[in-house]
Amino acid sequence: MILTLVFPLLLLGGAVLAAQSSINGRLGAKVGVLASAWLTFVIGAVLTFLLVFFFEPAHSATLFSVPKWQLTGALFGVVYMLAIVFAVPRVGTAAATVAVISGQLIMSLLVDHFGWLDNDRLPLDPSRIAAIVLLAGALFLIYQSNARRERQTASA
Amino acid sequence: MQQIATLLFVLCAGMGLSVEAGLLGPLGEQVGHLSATLSIFLVGGLLLTLAMIFIGRPPLTTLFQQPRWLLTGGLLGPIYVVVLTLTTPIVGVGMTMVGILCGQIGASLIIDHFGLLGSERRAIDGYRLLALVLIFLALWLIY
Repeated sequence: MILTLVFPLLLLGGAVLAAQSSINGRLGAKVGVLASAWLTFVIGAVLTFLLVFFFEPAHSATLFSVPKWQLTGALFGVVYMLAIVFAVPRVGTAAATVAVISGQLIMSLLVDHFGWLDNDRLPLDPSRIAAIVLLAGALFLIYQSNARRERQTASA
Repeated sequence: MQQIATLLFVLCAGMGLSVEAGLLGPLGEQVGHLSATLSIFLVGGLLLTLAMIFIGRPPLTTLFQQPRWLLTGGLLGPIYVVVLTLTTPIVGVGMTMVGILCGQIGASLIIDHFGLLGSERRAIDGYRLLALVLIFLALWLIY
């Protein structure tokens, strides 16, 4: 029962991510990769700052007291945003999304396998390796579809 | 060839995203999820502000001449994080990821197919549908 309420919310969360890559890709094509990523992060910072100010319950630890390496996540976020804004106009939202997801899943499988970042070890088993092969196949299919489309436009 | 290089680059960026999530989880436990989200956007925003000032000539006039909906990308990121924070305690991380990925892949195909949000139209064909099936199979194998 609760799942039927939560699942639409999750679909919305995923759809919002795809819409964001699409909007940012379009904006980036007009004003450049850097300006587009900058605007995204600044608006995000303003919005989350307001949310923290009014809705965050008090915690004993603050952003200023935790070990500094825990704050380095932003570096990966910036690289991701720049990559998406650069890639979407060149390869399309779908291909870019599949590439991101493949990277995400491959890395999380590696983290599980080696137990990086203090995670429990979950060794690679045949079904996980099969999943990687399927993802590579999906990327290749979308690449093929883009390439075929380009040939059609070229000959038309 | 250039397409393959771009896709590999995006793939690496996706790997970074997993590392970011790995860092963000424990941080959120300690300082709160909204604060953890803020750290991402704040550090990223400040670094990119420096880059904007020192690299090239910031196209601010062009930026704010765009239609307003083109500037709303930054509003969507926090929505995603809030959904994540709301749902993870209820259904668990695995289910959350599967739900998010379904929405992401489905929406990206729909956006490309209809050319929504100013994207170029890239019609759904047999290749793309087959790719979607492969992705769902892979998700099912992992979770």
